[in-house]
Amino acid sequence: MNRKKNWEQILADDRTVSLFVVGLGFACGTLLVLLVGKNPAGMYQAMLQTLTGWDITRKVWNARYIGEWLTASIPLILCGLSMGFAARTGLFNIGAEGQYIVGLTAAQFVALYFPPVPVLHWVAALAAAGLAGALWGGIVGILKARFEVSEVVATIMLNYVAFFLSRWVSMAIPGANTYRTPNFPPTATLASGFLENLTNGSRLNYGLFLALLACLFYWFIIEKTNLGFSLRATGLNKEAARYSGIPVTRSIASSMIIAGMFAGFAGAAVALGSFNYGRVLGGYDNYGFNGIAVALVGNSQAGGILASGLLFGMLASSQPLMQSRQIPKEITLIISGLVVVFISLRAGVKLFLDWRAKKATRTGGRSNDE
Amino acid sequence: MKRALIVVLAILAILAVSCEKKEVKVVAPALPTSRLLTDATGIDDKSFNAAGWRGILAFYGDTWENQTQKGKLYDWVTAQTQDMYVPNLKQASDEKYDLIIVTGFTWADAIREVAPQYPNQKYLIVDVDWVGKPNVMEATFSEHEGSYLVGVAAALKAQADGIAKPKFGFIGGIPGPVITKFEMGWVQGIKSVLADAEIVDYYANDWGKPELAKAQAKNWFDSGVYAIFSAAGGTGNGTIAQAKEYRAQGKNVWAIGVDSDQYEDGIYAEGKSAVLTSMLKRVESATKGALDRTKDGSFKGEVVVFDTKVEGVGFSDKNPELGSEIVQKVNEVKDKIVKGEIKIHATYAAAKEAGVVPGNLQASDKQ
Repeated sequence: MNRKKNWEQILADDRTVSLFVVGLGFACGTLLVLLVGKNPAGMYQAMLQTLTGWDITRKVWNARYIGEWLTASIPLILCGLSMGFAARTGLFNIGAEGQYIVGLTAAQFVALYFPPVPVLHWVAALAAAGLAGALWGGIVGILKARFEVSEVVATIMLNYVAFFLSRWVSMAIPGANTYRTPNFPPTATLASGFLENLTNGSRLNYGLFLALLACLFYWFIIEKTNLGFSLRATGLNKEAARYSGIPVTRSIASSMIIAGMFAGFAGAAVALGSFNYGRVLGGYDNYGFNGIAVALVGNSQAGGILASGLLFGMLASSQPLMQSRQIPKEITLIISGLVVVFISLRAGVKLFLDWRAKKATRTGGRSNDE
Repeated sequence: MKRALIVVLAILAILAVSCEKKEVKVVAPALPTSRLLTDATGIDDKSFNAAGWRGILAFYGDTWENQTQKGKLYDWVTAQTQDMYVPNLKQASDEKYDLIIVTGFTWADAIREVAPQYPNQKYLIVDVDWVGKPNVMEATFSEHEGSYLVGVAAALKAQADGIAKPKFGFIGGIPGPVITKFEMGWVQGIKSVLADAEIVDYYANDWGKPELAKAQAKNWFDSGVYAIFSAAGGTGNGTIAQAKEYRAQGKNVWAIGVDSDQYEDGIYAEGKSAVLTSMLKRVESATKGALDRTKDGSFKGEVVVFDTKVEGVGFSDKNPELGSEIVQKVNEVKDKIVKGEIKIHATYAAAKEAGVVPGNLQASDKQ
């Protein structure tokens, strides 16, 4: 009886389930690598090198790999926060990709046209990116709150609009071709000499602090403020929230605005952190879409998103290291895919537990009657 | 949290070590090692990456089906996103491949940033000539020579078919010096056979709009244009689609393929293709050539032009309707180009000055 209780408690704890699911994803990935006749050691060597910088085959240590891992995690964490924030209000933000793109585009514009004042320049670019993302998310939020337009459809459509709009306006910049704009002045980039030296010349930049601050901000808003309370209440049960006097429409709109802001920051972190010129996008970067997975695995909790963003960043930046060890490039994508599928099973487990609990009370009640 | 992290790292380390096979050190082979870095599509893009990979395979004596030395002497790594270009280049440099290969101008910025940080590392970039670093070999192609050959072939075919007053069309993507090389070669090739042939040209200002090329091709074919050469990326597929339609209806019109042999794309009936010939740009000759130079020690950071002489460019004789007579004649022209007996102008300004092309074309020498 007691053991059964423990088992149920474990299943009910989201954090344990997440960890379990990630482990399961890796186990399946390992099996797959074995099935295609490769040595899974290469997979773990690549991950170890990403996490510690230690290359076990060549016996070399290089801190740059740690830096690249953290750099790759920055936009994933921010997009995860975007997805998670909306999810806490019961919204499904498929539009982080579009919000990411408008953020990126706005940041590039400010980087190119704002006077090159140190610090102020990239702060302005970041602010513009956040605002653009907030606007893009806000459109959806207002449509949803006022007119009950499905946020899923609206965000998907706005992704396309954002992508083609970004291409169109970026190509209109003088000196731009179909691929890139002229270089930014150095004051626009988030590059940090200190972080670069610390990680042996990686592209690690101030975006790292942006991501950490964003996590803190997320936690504070959701857990510690009235706004956060009304957002969560709306997410748990919209009608109950409305009945108890919570301004549901305002919650929905503000939730999408803040979610869009996070994704906009992600766009700026990539544009100003990893490039010194503006890009004319040739396709989606997919950070926004991957953010969905990050938020799911992170249970839409600030700390969880931080951890799962680092996990997905690790997968992304160990992919070339795996390929170098002749592990197929698809394996990291398969692992992340499996993790998401297993996480979705969590909903099924919840249903199962609810059903059991209901059955238990029902039978319990009956025996009392008799 | 800290304890969890330590546990994870320990597990990783154990897994990484325990599964490692004790490998017998093989005596270092005489062949240089190489890595191809690609964008997200990988080596299956049927374009630059695939061609570059074929050249690497040829150098090591492997084939696409049987890549015996892959993972030992050569391999490839993709970049899932554009921001992975620089880290992937640095990683390959850390791993000390003898030659690191990238294809296409999208890599130019990344290689320009990374190459000076690894001054002893050799790099090859294909289709770019503006990186200018002492350890980067840049391979470009004499597109005007290959285009000249397909121009000659199309004109000879028109002559053989007895077309009165044949017209020829050119469809370009976005105007610029590279596409101008294609157009100038094509026009000069036609004019060398049919001096008074009428030439029309059109720029779609886009690399991915086949519908524009298709509408223009229909227009031209209806007005008596015999063959159209498109150097317009995906846009050019519209030309082939229209030529297929018309040939299936029994009209005698042709599309000319570009970069790779597009014979297969033009097939509209058993054994019949609307693509008369294709201007071949052999990226594989660049990767193989650079590896050859790495092997014999003649690798230098310079712009290397792959022309007709080294089979860097050429034409396809796959379509049986071209006929052995025309193929033979075009091959004679090819020999003359190799020997330097035929000079082809690569810029519009030079070709216009020499009076070998009409003055009303939309070609541009400006970037």
